[in-house]
Amino acid sequence: MDKFIAMYVYLYDNFLNNKKYASVLKAMEIRLTDYGIAGKILHLNNYVDVKPIIDDEIKRGAKTVVIVGNDKTFGHILSRGSTCDCVFGFLPIGNENTVAEVLGVPTGLEAVNALARRRKEKLDVGWFNNRYFVSQLRIPPAKVRVVYDEKFQVSTTYKMEVVVCNFQPFYWKKNKKDAVQQVVHPQDGKLEAFLRPLTKKGWWGADFEEPSIFPFEEMEIVADSPFIVEADGRSTKEVKVKIRLAKNKITMIVGRNRKF
Amino acid sequence: MIFKKNETQEEYVAEEDTVMEDNSQSSGEDNIDTVVGPSMIVEGDFASEGNIVVKGTVTGSVCTSKNLTVEEGAKILANVKAGSANVSGEVQGNMRVKDYLELSSTARIIGDIEVRTIAVQAGALLFGKVAMPGMEKSETKSAKNLKGRNRKEMTEE
Repeated sequence: MDKFIAMYVYLYDNFLNNKKYASVLKAMEIRLTDYGIAGKILHLNNYVDVKPIIDDEIKRGAKTVVIVGNDKTFGHILSRGSTCDCVFGFLPIGNENTVAEVLGVPTGLEAVNALARRRKEKLDVGWFNNRYFVSQLRIPPAKVRVVYDEKFQVSTTYKMEVVVCNFQPFYWKKNKKDAVQQVVHPQDGKLEAFLRPLTKKGWWGADFEEPSIFPFEEMEIVADSPFIVEADGRSTKEVKVKIRLAKNKITMIVGRNRKF
Repeated sequence: MIFKKNETQEEYVAEEDTVMEDNSQSSGEDNIDTVVGPSMIVEGDFASEGNIVVKGTVTGSVCTSKNLTVEEGAKILANVKAGSANVSGEVQGNMRVKDYLELSSTARIIGDIEVRTIAVQAGALLFGKVAMPGMEKSETKSAKNLKGRNRKEMTEE
């Protein structure tokens, strides 16, 4: 029987303090207690480094760390905590939950059922310049060139936006007037890079071209002048970025309808 | 209740096993196509495990085991190896296509082609040799037959 005893720690995002989420949280907590998987609840601040917190809880006997929040919470916690030796779960609440869709975890109360099933998967994460990213890495339009797997180079005469997706799907529209939003769901085992040149339209206008898509395992983004890199909600300035896939880095509880 | 819990836990363990199996089967294949946009320039050995769609310019070499689509306005200045290909743009280089090659009316190819099956629409431009593996065999057989007949005729005379 001891084999199945797992201590759970729930990391709540700051935005869940809002009153409108109180009823959902309460219902979730009741269901978690019903399933016998209720545990310690920790409320996070926006600027807290979660790694020492998770490490501390693991030392105290925690086996499963459950992220409660949205895409931002997921990225914020796993970008730091992916090296921790524990199983991660996710209870998505509110809007902006595209990662949950990829993982097959339903939003709200139903997510507790997926968590209770404990369908575990080893997932890959992205790695760049000594940091991990789980959802998405974005470089706003800049004069950059991309070298893939040290084999071929991709460039353009225009400035281009680079988006590298790990768990978060990539959404774009063919043009500004287009009502239909195009979606590409990332697959596990590779990272997907979406390159969109910002081409000139008319005298002053500029518009994004249809994206170029390259699935890859390793790539290097190089530029002559520094460019901004946004990964999991944090932005830095770099001149050279090496992006790689770290395979089977995190163990995650996923849902039946996952997209990989 | 305790027995019930045990049962459910066993079910979950079984589910986990099946998930791992599924994962091993699905890995290794690309579901997402590699797309080279209209204003993109690719230089080097461009290789992909999945389908490739070229709308821009590629120089160096192109290699895929699956389908290659060269759209109208696209330019490939490279030797091409592909499982199958649909060409509507320009290719300057030799093409080795394993199965099926389709040249649409806007296609321009400068280079030799080696392919099993080819379909050429009216208006397509092609400057180079076309070799088909099925033809080689029958040609060599007929040549051998001819040579054999000639020898027989010579000896009879």
